[in-house]
Amino acid sequence: MTESGQPIHDVSLLLSGANEHLACGADIDELLEQAADGAAGQLTSHQRDCVYCQAALREFGRVWEPVRSLAAEQVTVPAALKIAVASQIRKLVADVWYTLQLSDGGGIRVAARVVARIAREAAHDVTGVRVAFGRSTHSRMAGLVERATLRHRHPNAAVGVLGRTAVVDLAIAVQYGDQLDAVARDVQRRAVAELRSKVGLRDVTVNVHVDDVIT
Amino acid sequence: MGSDVDDAYLVLRAQEGYVDAYADLVDRHGQLAYRVALRLLGNHHDAEDVAQEALVTAWQQLPGFRGESSFPTWLYQIVTRRSLNRITRTRITASLDLLGDLNDVNAGPSQQAERDLTVDAVTDAVTALPPPQRVAIVLHHFEGLPLAEIARITDSSIPAVRSHLFRGRRTLTKTLAEWR
Repeated sequence: MTESGQPIHDVSLLLSGANEHLACGADIDELLEQAADGAAGQLTSHQRDCVYCQAALREFGRVWEPVRSLAAEQVTVPAALKIAVASQIRKLVADVWYTLQLSDGGGIRVAARVVARIAREAAHDVTGVRVAFGRSTHSRMAGLVERATLRHRHPNAAVGVLGRTAVVDLAIAVQYGDQLDAVARDVQRRAVAELRSKVGLRDVTVNVHVDDVIT
Repeated sequence: MGSDVDDAYLVLRAQEGYVDAYADLVDRHGQLAYRVALRLLGNHHDAEDVAQEALVTAWQQLPGFRGESSFPTWLYQIVTRRSLNRITRTRITASLDLLGDLNDVNAGPSQQAERDLTVDAVTDAVTALPPPQRVAIVLHHFEGLPLAEIARITDSSIPAVRSHLFRGRRTLTKTLAEWR
């Protein structure tokens, strides 16, 4: 029943027009909020004795049940999303490459981001390292070179070209209690070895930044 | 490994040019971007497009992100704005596959059909709401965000959010009651 005392046969009718209160004086929007929040069964002292409130809450709860059920469903993210985002970002970040070989037989180049990734993975293998991220320190400089050469239609314009000398930054967070300098040196040694053996870079410099400790 | 550190750490590293730190943020919050876009737009195709745009935009705008709000709040803001742009541009009303690949493998054909109908009805009812009400309903009742955070995300006030919620709840309830 509404405040006018007329019987209500369905929810649509109850919510249409200017009805704001039930016959008992309860605010319809507050009851709707209670039901939508999944609290239709948690009755106040007034509601425990009020048939109007109980009927409205029961009906609102029934109508909102599929909404609440859908809201609780896990949504699976398409696998392609992450790949698409990574690909877009790669286009935005200056594409920098290390040249390993240039000969009549063709060239071999490795992207700086691959080099940074290998250094990162090497750091992850060191005991005491909880988090590691790698970046090429050449990125900014090579990006400028790339843009400049592109503007002049230089033959090497497709890439920012570096030699066989790599400089990589590693930011690591270390397990609290471990000896920081020892962990950092181990990371440095391992990353250099990996980049020499897996990539074939001749001169490798790895700067390690311990920027956090984790308990 | 990224799970050992908080969002603020990853944001700082990403701002310094460690692209993998941003990849970890995408791993962590890509679902949020996609889920909100899906609820607001009602179909997977547009949701994927908008989530992708939002995550790339967040990367581009990361240098200006000062951490005054949390990264998820900031991402909610970008996704919501992108979704609203898409809504006003295309006036999407049809939406049929909010659950998509979430079909219940234990349900029989008739149960599944009924479930699909219910999902379609809820999705249609939500996407038929005027945009401000839709945003308030999705962020509060689907994402579970408090009114103050919704006000921050939508650059609005708490009373305005409450008002949109009240009207949205009434409209949604009437639509679903008539459907049943």
